[in-house]
Amino acid sequence: MATIIDITEEKALEVRDFEFTYASADEPSIKKLDMPIAKNSITALIGPSGCGKTTLLRAFNRMHDLYPGNEYAGEIIFKDRNILTPNEDLINLRIQIGMIFQKPTAFPMSIFDNVAYGMKLQGIKNRTELNDRVEKALKDAAIWKEVKDRLKHDANGLSGGQQQRLCIARAVAVEPEVLLFDEPTSALDPISTAGIEELIVELRERVSIIIVTHNMQQAARVSDYTGFMYLGELIELGKTEELFVTPKEKLTEEYITGKFG
Amino acid sequence: MNTIIDRLFANTTKIVALSILLIVAWIFATLLQHSMESIQALGFNFITESKWAPNLEKFGALPAIYGSVVSTFLAMILAVPLAIGVAIFLSELAPEKLKAPVGVSIELLAAIPSVIYGMWGLFYFVPIIRDVFGGIGISMLTAGIVLSIMILPFMAAVTRDAMNTTPDILKESAYALGGTKWDVIKDIVIPYAKAGIIGSFILALGRAIGETMAVTFVMGNVHKISMDLTAPATSIPVTLANEFTEADSGLYYSSLFELSLLLLVISFTIISIAKFYFLRRKRVA
Repeated sequence: MATIIDITEEKALEVRDFEFTYASADEPSIKKLDMPIAKNSITALIGPSGCGKTTLLRAFNRMHDLYPGNEYAGEIIFKDRNILTPNEDLINLRIQIGMIFQKPTAFPMSIFDNVAYGMKLQGIKNRTELNDRVEKALKDAAIWKEVKDRLKHDANGLSGGQQQRLCIARAVAVEPEVLLFDEPTSALDPISTAGIEELIVELRERVSIIIVTHNMQQAARVSDYTGFMYLGELIELGKTEELFVTPKEKLTEEYITGKFG
Repeated sequence: MNTIIDRLFANTTKIVALSILLIVAWIFATLLQHSMESIQALGFNFITESKWAPNLEKFGALPAIYGSVVSTFLAMILAVPLAIGVAIFLSELAPEKLKAPVGVSIELLAAIPSVIYGMWGLFYFVPIIRDVFGGIGISMLTAGIVLSIMILPFMAAVTRDAMNTTPDILKESAYALGGTKWDVIKDIVIPYAKAGIIGSFILALGRAIGETMAVTFVMGNVHKISMDLTAPATSIPVTLANEFTEADSGLYYSSLFELSLLLLVISFTIISIAKFYFLRRKRVA
C-alpha cells in the first residue's frame, strides 16, 4: 500500500523489513518498514506524534541500545553491512552516524572542549590538529565569528541557537557520513531556526542528512526527499516537491492538508 | 476583614521564621556567655595548649581539635571514593531491578541513629582493629572508620541524586559522539553534578566533625596528640560527652563551653561553604 519511490542515486542507508519494539510494549512501534536514504541529500521524516519517526531515527545510530530490552528486527544497511547485528561496533557506528537532538545539549565544559570532545574520545591529542579541526568545525557550523574570542568560556553561556550550532559543530568535527537531526529547531526562535535550516542545507554537500520534524514547512524548505510516516509505517516516500504538491497516497494528502495530525 | 486576616497570617509566619534566627543567636549567646570565664582566663592559649589536666586547672583544647580534624579527615578519605563508587553504580550502571532495593537500603542506613553505629563499632570494629593494627583497639583509626561508615550512606545517596539530575539527552549526546559508559560518567555526569557532589561531601564533613555518639564509644577520651593512629584519642564532642558531668570547677565548666563554641563556629563555617556551593549551582542552572 505504501508508495516508495526508487532512488536512482547512491544510497547512504537502506532500511529493509525493519521492525522495532520498545521494552515496555507488546506491539512493535515500527512494522515492516522499507526505506532507502539517498546519499548527500536531505531526507525529512514527517508524521503525527507517535508515528514512529523519532523511533526510526534513533535506530540508525542504535541509540535504543542505551536502554535495555528494546528489540530490532530486519536490516539497516550501511556501508554494505547490516548495522543491527549484535556484534556491530556501536562506538564506531556512532562516530560515522552523528546526531543532533531536540534541545541544545552543550556539555558542561568550554566551547573549545565541546567541539573537541568527539575527537578526544577518538584519542586525538595533537594540539595543532585539535585547534585546526575545532576552528574548521565552528566555521562549518557558521558560529566561528561569534565564539572565536571566547573559546575558553563555558558553553552554557551561549544562546539557545548558538548552542545548537555548537552541537552541530561538535557533530561535524568527527567527520561523520550521516547526520541525524531529531527536531533540531523545536526549542529555538524563528531567527535561530532559519539559521539552522540554512546550515543543514549547506551540510548536504558533505554528509547525508535525515531530519525528523513536526513542522511540514521545514520539511518542504530544507529536504530533497520526504517520508510520511503514520502508525509505525512509512506511507509514502517521494521527492519533496512532488510529495507536497502531488501526494500519491490519500493519507499523505490528508495529513499535509491538515485534515488530521 | 480579608486584608486583616492576610496581614495576621503574614505576620505570624514572619514571627515563626524570625524566631529561628533568634534561636541561633540565643544558642550562640549562651555558649559565649558561659565561655567568658575560660576565654578571659586562658585567651588564645586555650587552642594552642596541648595539656588538658582539669585537676591542675590546665585546659588545652589542641588534642580535642586535633582529634576532631584527624578523625574527620580519615572518615572523608575512606568514605569519599566509596560514596562516589556507590553513586556511580546506582545512577549509571545498576540494572533497573537493583536500583530501587539498593537505593532504599542506603537511605535506611542513613537513618540509623548514630549511637547504634557507636555500639556496633565498639563490639565489632574495636576487636578487629586491635587484632589487625595492634593497640587496644579503641583509637583514632577506629573512630575514623566508624565515622566513615556512618557518613557513607548520606554521601552516596546525595551524590546519586545529584548524578541523577544529569539530563538523559545530555548523556545521549555524548554517546552519540562515540562515548563509552566510562567517558560519559567522567566527562558528563560527574562534571554536571559536581556542585551537588561537593556540597554533599561538605555537609557530610560537617556531620562527621560534630558527631558525638558514634565516636564516643570507640575513641577513648585521651587528651594526647599522637601520630600513632591506633592510639586512643579524643575529639571536641567526645570530650563534651564524657566530661560535662564531671566538671567541678567554674573554669573546667567554662572551658567545656568554649569547646562547644569552637565546634559551633567550625560547623557553621562548613555549612556556609556547602551553602555557597549549592547556591552557586542554582545560579548556573
